[in-house]
Amino acid sequence: MQFWSYFAIRLVQAVFVVFIVATTVFFVSRLVGNPESTLLAPDQRRPEAVERLREDLGLHHPLHVQYGIFLWNLAQGDFGSSWLGGGTPALAAIGDRAVSTFKLGVAGVVFAIALAVPLGILAALKRGTILDWLARFVAVIGQATPSFWLGLMMIFFFAVQLGWFPTGGEEAGFRSLILPAIALGLFELVAIMRLTRSGMIEVMDTDFIRTARAKGLSERVVIGRHAVRHALLPVVTMLGLSLGRLIGGSVIIEMVFAWPGVGRLIIDSIFKNDFPMVQASIIVLAASIALVNLLVDVSYRLVDPRIRAGAA
Amino acid sequence: MAGQAAGQAVAAPLAQRRGVRWRRWLGLSVPGAIALALLVAGVGADWLAPHDPEYINLGGRLEPPIFAGGTWDYFLGTDDVGRDIFSRLLYGARISLIVVGIVVPGAALLGTLVGLIAGWAGGLTGHLLMRLVDVQLAMPAILFAVLLASLVGPSLRNVIIILLIWTWPSYARLVRADVLSLKERDFVTASRATGAGPVWIMRRHLFPNVVNTVVIIMTLEVALVILAEAALSFLTVGAPPGTPSWGVMISEGRDFMNVAWWPIWLPGLALLIISLTGNLMGDWLRDALDPRLRNVR
Repeated sequence: MQFWSYFAIRLVQAVFVVFIVATTVFFVSRLVGNPESTLLAPDQRRPEAVERLREDLGLHHPLHVQYGIFLWNLAQGDFGSSWLGGGTPALAAIGDRAVSTFKLGVAGVVFAIALAVPLGILAALKRGTILDWLARFVAVIGQATPSFWLGLMMIFFFAVQLGWFPTGGEEAGFRSLILPAIALGLFELVAIMRLTRSGMIEVMDTDFIRTARAKGLSERVVIGRHAVRHALLPVVTMLGLSLGRLIGGSVIIEMVFAWPGVGRLIIDSIFKNDFPMVQASIIVLAASIALVNLLVDVSYRLVDPRIRAGAA
Repeated sequence: MAGQAAGQAVAAPLAQRRGVRWRRWLGLSVPGAIALALLVAGVGADWLAPHDPEYINLGGRLEPPIFAGGTWDYFLGTDDVGRDIFSRLLYGARISLIVVGIVVPGAALLGTLVGLIAGWAGGLTGHLLMRLVDVQLAMPAILFAVLLASLVGPSLRNVIIILLIWTWPSYARLVRADVLSLKERDFVTASRATGAGPVWIMRRHLFPNVVNTVVIIMTLEVALVILAEAALSFLTVGAPPGTPSWGVMISEGRDFMNVAWWPIWLPGLALLIISLTGNLMGDWLRDALDPRLRNVR
């Protein structure tokens, strides 16, 4: 299959996924949400007021008509406006939040890679030593630690007791990014470290490493140029998946650290029954995960032609 | 002399193999014991708990555990409204067990079925089923949980529904991958040639060959499900407030974190130990049954 036709198929699949997510969100929020309970004060909930509100919001139409309008607007790039706070267009409200979530996700990935790759390489080279044992111990513990609990513990020790970092929010710039990035990235750190370690162990046994050594290359060149490059190939492919998982996992970390990202926006909007905001922010989140996955698949194919599209 | 050497050569590997086998089981003993303890705690909470887990005693709020100067009556201390933390931990184990007991087998069944059908049928059916998996991957399940909780209120039933939706795709993907390669094998072709129908082939040839994979994922998913239940309850969209779920306990202890460490530390540690146990058992089982799966997660 040619590259572009593969790309086109994957793109259609990604759009389809986002469409299903959008549809699901639409129906679930319509079926479960009850906007007059949050949009009107209790003493305003007279039948005619409720009726007028539903008419203003377009909720008086039958469900299939509402769905049609929703899709029609979506196709034109209109995500609707918030039902609260003066009706900000939903996309504009998401913009800043998305930047915050993206920052957090990238910080999590950077933290994970910066520690995981050197640790994984070291553990593989010093296999069987106390260092390897320690790295594996940390991995097992790290994988089992609930991220939200870890976040709370770090807030308690490093923010409340020691006062090194703020307890939440993003006002303190880089310093406020550190704790949430660690809480978010720990799980990925473990995964990347395991992958690096097993990749390195595998590659050190191969013929081309033996050849490189036989040529008389220094151990530094053998490891740095030959082995690491090879061992990191699967790590690179996992990065995209990690980023996707991190975007999803950021929802709970944002709640723990009062981080003003998309995840918190979604949760707040759900509790306020602000349907357009809920729809728009979930669609944006799902679309960005789908996009990351798409880019990973496509770039993997570009990097490694052995991967056949049919196998993906 | 020669005979002796030969005898040793035969005897040594045998003894070694025995040693390996013995040590292999040893690796399971500690996690196995902890898992058993969890089971006993959850099932026997009614008899083991010294106090009613929901009994509020404002006179005895935030009593420290015995090792921090407390009394034996409440040896793991009390929470912010004076409920006994040890009893709540026991009942929390029961909640975790109920969730795991329904979600893990349920998701395994659903995912295996979808994986078998998607792998065997291929074509349009296979594609559509796999897109369902993609949809789930692109949609953080936490958001569904919040949506559901905002309508019907937080409940354990919601948690179970959400976690079922959340976890079945991992089975489906791996089972499908296995089936795709299995169905090209000679024994499947032979079975088809003798006129076996798809249901027969799935039941007699494909399922027995994927069951190891499924069992391994199930073990590894136990920890994931327990952590996820706690996370949802922590976000106040899982078990209702006041329930002795470990996640709820952490969420309620959060406000008193600066005054008292135990209401939030103890359930957190319980979670950590249990999920550690689940992972160790899963790893052990995977190494024993199928080392190929080393990087499934």
